[in-house]
Amino acid sequence: MTVDALSSVCNLGVLDSLSGASISEILESWNSFCLITETIVKGDDANLSTSYSKFQSDVCSLCKYGLRSLVEEHFLLSLQGMSEKHGAPNFWKNFDAYNNVPDSEMIDRNTQEDEVELLLCKALEEISLEKQYQEKCLLMLVNSLQLCQENNTSTEGHPLDMEKIFFSKYRLIVSSVLMTTMPRQFTEILHSYFKGRLEELSTIMVGDYDDDNELQDNNRPTNMDIDGTYDPKKTLENKLVRNIGMVVHNLKNLGFTSMTEDAYASTIFLLLQAKVYDLAGDDYRTSVLESIKGWIQAVPLQFLHALLDYLGDSMSDLSPKSTKSPLASTPSSCYQKSGKPSEGIIRWQLRLEYFAYETLQDLRIDKLFEIIVDYPDSAPAIEDLKQCLEYTGQHSKLVDSFISALKYRLLTAGASTNDILHQYVSTIKALRTIDPAGVFLEAVGEPIREYLRGRKDTIKCIVTMLTDGTGGNSNGPGTGDSLLEELNRDEENQERNSLDDDINTDDKQTWIDVQRWEPDPVEADPSKGSRYRRKVDVLGMIVGIIGSKDQLINEYRVMLAEKLLNKTDYDIDTEIRTLELLKIHFGESSMQKCEIMLNDLIDSKRTNTNVKATINQLSQTAAESREHGASFDILDATIISSNFWPPIQDDDVKIPEPVDQLLSDYAKRFHEIKTPRKLLWKKNLGTVKLELEFEDKTLQFTVTPIHASIIMQFQDQKSWTSKNLAAAIGVPVDTLQRRINFWISKGIVAESSSADSNDHVYTLVDDMADGGKSVTNNEVLVADDEAETSVASVEDQLKKEMAVYEKFIFGMLTNIGNMGLERIHNSLKIFCATNPVYDKSIQQLQSFLSGLVAEEKLELRDGTYSLKK
Amino acid sequence: MDIWHAVASWTWDAHDETCGICRMAFDGCCTDCKLPGDDCPLIWGACNHAFHLHCILKWVNSQTSQAHCPMCRREWQFKE
Ligand SMILES: [Zn+2]
Ligand SMILES: [Zn+2]
Ligand SMILES: [Zn+2]
Repeated sequence: MTVDALSSVCNLGVLDSLSGASISEILESWNSFCLITETIVKGDDANLSTSYSKFQSDVCSLCKYGLRSLVEEHFLLSLQGMSEKHGAPNFWKNFDAYNNVPDSEMIDRNTQEDEVELLLCKALEEISLEKQYQEKCLLMLVNSLQLCQENNTSTEGHPLDMEKIFFSKYRLIVSSVLMTTMPRQFTEILHSYFKGRLEELSTIMVGDYDDDNELQDNNRPTNMDIDGTYDPKKTLENKLVRNIGMVVHNLKNLGFTSMTEDAYASTIFLLLQAKVYDLAGDDYRTSVLESIKGWIQAVPLQFLHALLDYLGDSMSDLSPKSTKSPLASTPSSCYQKSGKPSEGIIRWQLRLEYFAYETLQDLRIDKLFEIIVDYPDSAPAIEDLKQCLEYTGQHSKLVDSFISALKYRLLTAGASTNDILHQYVSTIKALRTIDPAGVFLEAVGEPIREYLRGRKDTIKCIVTMLTDGTGGNSNGPGTGDSLLEELNRDEENQERNSLDDDINTDDKQTWIDVQRWEPDPVEADPSKGSRYRRKVDVLGMIVGIIGSKDQLINEYRVMLAEKLLNKTDYDIDTEIRTLELLKIHFGESSMQKCEIMLNDLIDSKRTNTNVKATINQLSQTAAESREHGASFDILDATIISSNFWPPIQDDDVKIPEPVDQLLSDYAKRFHEIKTPRKLLWKKNLGTVKLELEFEDKTLQFTVTPIHASIIMQFQDQKSWTSKNLAAAIGVPVDTLQRRINFWISKGIVAESSSADSNDHVYTLVDDMADGGKSVTNNEVLVADDEAETSVASVEDQLKKEMAVYEKFIFGMLTNIGNMGLERIHNSLKIFCATNPVYDKSIQQLQSFLSGLVAEEKLELRDGTYSLKK
Repeated sequence: MDIWHAVASWTWDAHDETCGICRMAFDGCCTDCKLPGDDCPLIWGACNHAFHLHCILKWVNSQTSQAHCPMCRREWQFKE
């Protein structure tokens, strides 16, 4: 190796100019130099000092002949060879055991973590020792070269520079050797190591953190204070950090700087993620953001602080690192002994907090649907989410994710309109906290509104939700309160809190203003905090589903009429209250007709008392003359101003003679009192409470006049054919058959076929026990037929009004094929400019068309209507 | 039978349905009123034409000389 190497490398021209003695001196020195190099590099420490003077003279003589570069190169090559043949393989051999273990498996095995730790420490120590030794050798060369240089006074640069250059060359050699031979699993081993250590640290520190929390949050000494050595925990913790610091330090020295940083950074993030999942979980009723932030302070930041501190101390004399990941924080520059957090730590804190916000945000967005179902109990989770979003600005993520959750979970045929509406309202209430301006709410609400517009019972459900507090579906805090009541309460609170906040010129200003007020103690509850926000118009967004408030009011009027007509007392306190609320929100003039309807009830009560009092007084004799006739005591009447009521189903019915007599006496008396007004009875309307007496029991029922008339026909005649009974009551047979079903279902009337196949025979069941459908004694039974309403529904009214346009619509669709809603609307406006004039809103048209779709006359596909084939 | 709660509507015992002055239904009320019935009564003239009381009063007061029935142009007198 020696002579051959020399001859192959050296310039022959140089050799020519040399004397024979010189050549032999060169050869002799070279051979000696190579020998010593080989020996010392191999690692016999004893030779290091003994051969130093010989080594030095060899180096000097070689330099003298200008062979310095050759010397340097050979020496470094020897070191490299040693690393390649010995150092690196030996180091990697430690980790052979993990060679073929799948990554995830290895990480999860806790038992192996301790093993990994020991192994890594040991291996690092070994290789570091070896490296230290090699550095010593290198220093020997450097010193020798420097010595020659002084003698030679050549211009080879500053001695300190030379040392630096050599060491960095050497370090490059070591790290490139290690890098090129690194086994695949080493990254995983690093991760596993840091995971184990950090978890250990976390356990120690979390205990710490919790203790501190219990004591007092405000006076808690800063967690950065790691010098509190009196605490046994701190000692343990410091030992652990020192241990980790040592590993990191050794790894960095071997050139694994960025890999190491990546490893502990990703470990920290993984741990943080796990922590967020753990703290947040599926509990929406407590806020977790502060605990997460606290944990970041207590564990990872303190770890990093201590680590950087350690590295800062031990690495201060090292040359600046060449490779720096963005995560890297240069220990010397980022940690100042002043004790205040360094720039590096602050950067870490921001990164970690951002990551935590984002993780929590994603977690909450993922479960937003459930959270809103749980609202307002889940208000803390919403508040957390709000803060996260303010930080990350990823509101659009929320919108996209929530809309798809809505489509998947809520806007399906299986969900009841009521549920959808309640979720809609909860969504508005919850999201207005996050989004006071209502921008995202608008986007999220649109699919729900769109969907609800396609449902026939939407308006009815909305009206019920707004006005009826007893509908058991309200899961809000004020159960038993209607939504209107609740909205009104909100508004009053708002007014109380913002007396001089007349114009909402600027959202931000409003928000600041609102925050300035001291909430009163009851309302200080954080879950109700949203009430103080600028108001997102909940009612407006609900009306927005229907399109116009007029339709809503119209529907309310129909429902109110139904309710009022079925009252047996004149108690309308709740209806009056509801009307007051409606007047506040929709204006007094819109509610005019409803007001008159309520007024009719009040008047009726007065008139009823008046009529009955004077009738009994005046016609004492007349009353007696009606032998088994009914007394006026049983009769009450509701007298309506029919012009202001919605169209009323006016079917004639023959009611029992004694009652009929009472009615005409009553009307006569009314006419006397109120001339020139007179009464027109709507005999099919109203409510009858009756008691059926059987041999062994009595049963009470509350039914319609038709039901009552039917059953009373059985008093004198136990069996009727359907034709005869219908004639007796004065209704069509099919009406009779529908109505009598009520009595059949109660087991009071039995149905059997007769000789005439078109006719049925109804018989009163005498022995109820036989009927098998025993009814508990004295139970009040209400004939509650959803389908049998006294008032024509809004839908029916609309259908009647729209019927004239039906042929236009069919005509257009026949010619054109399919058309969108808007196009049909606009075309009707053009075609029906004169007689009949088309004056309906697009929402009314839509509702009419969806009726036609339900009747299977039309088809709706992708937003366009076509004729059903 | 305990209670028979019946429903009726009231109406003015008039031949026409709407007031000739305001064109509103008799069973409704005149343009100035909010509540129908006793609060906005009808009145008959000697000619047997009926109007909302408020309407005919306005009409009568607006006439400079002797008022006439807006329907039949006969001299307006309240029916006894
Ligand atoms: Zn009038
Ligand atoms: Zn009037
Ligand atoms: Zn006249």
